[in-house]
Parts: sequence; C-alpha cells; structure tokens
Amino acid sequence: MSESDSPDDIGTSPDSLDLSPREPSARQRRQRRPWLAMIVLLLVVAAGGLVLTKFLTSAIDYYCNVDEIGAKEGCEAGRRLRIQGIVDVGSVTDNATATEFSISFGGVSLPVVYEGEPGGIFKECIPVVVHGILRDGVFNGDRIEVKHSNEYEAENPDRIAGETDKGSECSL
Amino acid sequence: MSNDRATSTPFTKGLGFFVVLGIALLIILGIFVSPADVNQGESVRIMYAHVPGAWLAYLAFVMTAVSSAAYLWKRTRSLTWDRIAGASAEVGVLFMGISLVTGSLWGRLTWGTYWTWDARLTTTAFLFVTYIGYLAVRGLGGTHQQRARRSAVLALLAVLEIPLVHFSVELWNTLHQEASVAGRGTDVEMNGLMLFTLFLGVVVFTLMYIWLVLHRQRSLMLEDMLDDSGLDNALSERRAEATQVGH
Repeated sequence: MSESDSPDDIGTSPDSLDLSPREPSARQRRQRRPWLAMIVLLLVVAAGGLVLTKFLTSAIDYYCNVDEIGAKEGCEAGRRLRIQGIVDVGSVTDNATATEFSISFGGVSLPVVYEGEPGGIFKECIPVVVHGILRDGVFNGDRIEVKHSNEYEAENPDRIAGETDKGSECSL
Repeated sequence: MSNDRATSTPFTKGLGFFVVLGIALLIILGIFVSPADVNQGESVRIMYAHVPGAWLAYLAFVMTAVSSAAYLWKRTRSLTWDRIAGASAEVGVLFMGISLVTGSLWGRLTWGTYWTWDARLTTTAFLFVTYIGYLAVRGLGGTHQQRARRSAVLALLAVLEIPLVHFSVELWNTLHQEASVAGRGTDVEMNGLMLFTLFLGVVVFTLMYIWLVLHRQRSLMLEDMLDDSGLDNALSERRAEATQVGH
C-alpha cells in the first residue's frame, strides 16, 4: 500500500492538489444570494405603502349616508362623495342614456342620475353606494356599488309578490 | 425511498382521504343541494369557499404567532416550532388568496365591482401583503436560528392586524357587509341549509389546513437537513477529489 492511498495525506503534496476557489454549487448560490426574497420584500414594502395610503385616503368612512350630506365632516356638498342610501320604491326609470332613481337614508331622499346601467344586483329597496358629485340638488353618479346585507334567505319561487317580509314599502 | 425522507404518515394519508371526501361533499352541498339566495341568486354559493378561506387564514396566522412564541420561549428555541410557523403562514397565504379571489368574483356579481378600497378590503389586502413579506423574510438567508428569530418577531407583530381586519366592518362604514355568523348580533340571519353548508366548509378547510401544514413542515425539515448536510458534503467531495488526484 503506497502512502498516497491514505486520505490523511491530503494537503501534503501541494503540486497534486488544485486549491484554487471553485464555482459554488447551485444550492450554495441560492443560500448566499437570496435575491428573490429581497425583490419580493421590496415589492411588499411598496405594496404595503400603497395599501396604507388607500386606507388613509379612501377606506376610513368609505361613504356618507344621505342624511349626512352637509352635516358630517367630509360629507360637504360640492366635493366628490360616495353616498349610501336605499333605492326608493318605484323611483327607478331608465332612458336611453341614463338611469334615474332616488335613494333614502334617515328620512332624507336624494335624486340620483347615473350614466348607464347599474351592475351587480341593483334593484329597489336595496342599499347602494353611489360615487359622484352633487350638483343642483341632483347627485350625478359615475359608479354604483350594491351593498349587500348580512342576511341570507333561500329563494322561494312559490312566494307571492308582496308577501316578502319587506312588504311593498321598504322598511328599514 | 426510505420512509424518513417522505412527508406522509399513516395519519396524514387517512386525513388526506377525509379531506378529498369532504371537498367532494362540500361541492355537492354547495353547488347542488343548498338553495339560491333571494337577493344574490346563485352567487351566494361562493360564500362556502370565501368565508372558510378567510377564517382558516386567520387561524393559520394565529398558529404562526403561537408557534413563533413557542420558539422564542427561552427554554425551547426548537426549529420544529419555527418550521410549523413557516408552514402555517404559507398555508394561510394560500387560503387568504382563495378568499380574496372568490370574494372578488362575488363582488363583481353582487356589488357590480371586483374591487374597491373600503376598510375591510383594504385591511385584508394589507394582511395578505404582510404575510407575503413574512415569507420573504424567511427566505433572506443566514442560519436557521437567525431565520427563526427574525420571522418569529415579525409573526408576533403581524398577528395584531387580524382584529383590525375582523372588526373593520364595525369600526368604519364599509361596502363589505358585517359578519353574519361571528358578528356581535344575537341572531344569525341565515337559512339553515346555507348555515350547515358553511359549517361543513369550515370543517373541510380546517382538515385541509392540518393536512397541508403537516406535510409542509416536514418538507421544510428535509430542506433544513439538506442545508445542514451541505458543508459535510462539500468536505467529503473535496476529500474524494483529492484522494483521486493522489493516485
């Protein structure tokens, strides 16, 4: 058995050993340079900032109720508003370009003109949030969101119209 | 393949079977058996994935915080707790994603819009982004103990956002409705079969959560073992190389 067969001899014959630095393996590279994690973290910080801005500018008190216009801070007429109210019975009329209806909340009613066809489950007696500007007593809406309640009731095809618990007039 | 390299056990195999069975049952009840809603129509069925997704994401993030606290407890410092925290956060992000996507589709059908910046949606987006950040922090490198310490501190802070998200619908005017089942109101305003289907959804999602976390924390353990073996491997490779050169 020659001496060079023994593993303990490693390093004793420098001529035969290549000690220059070697390329790190793929796995070692991944550990040393977590670029992906850093990029994700930067994106997260940016997105977090955007969300926080939205929270402070939009999310706190998302809407004003109809009876709060001009009465509550941030609900002044003349500025861009989001108004919440319940669509009045029999108030919805469609013409070629616009949908007109009125919404009520807290005993105050507000006429609304909306350019287009409202989406979602828009109908009478349902709460909606209308985005727009109040001009000459009429609210000019450009976006309507239907606010669903937290009530869930089975659809019953046998129910006679008017027999629903809401009755023919919307009860708040 | 030897069994210590697998992530499944007889328990997870049995659990997986019940998860698949539960999902099938939930689909049957949610899509075919439970009734349509008087206002929302068929889109009410989205609730059976949306609500359990959100609740289990909360639970997952709470579990991440609890495991992180267990790791930081001075006598433990066990990486098993750290891996459970990481696995739970990953599954939580997945479930929050499910809740966001299904909620967005429901919003399009019911509200008439996919997204709006009201308090519930905004705080939920913030929670989602926070936990993606948490996962990124876990991937920053360093030793396993460094990773565990950093992420544990972050997890204990991030969990404080959950009450803000849950009570956002009561604290502020929101487009999103208030809680139907876990709210402060006395009565649950929900049809019985709908409520049962929702309950089933929560059970199925809970089983799915446990199943995914068990597998994931074991695969994280294997990853850590692989990292730890890296240095030993490098040494033995060099040794083998040198021995060959010596010949």
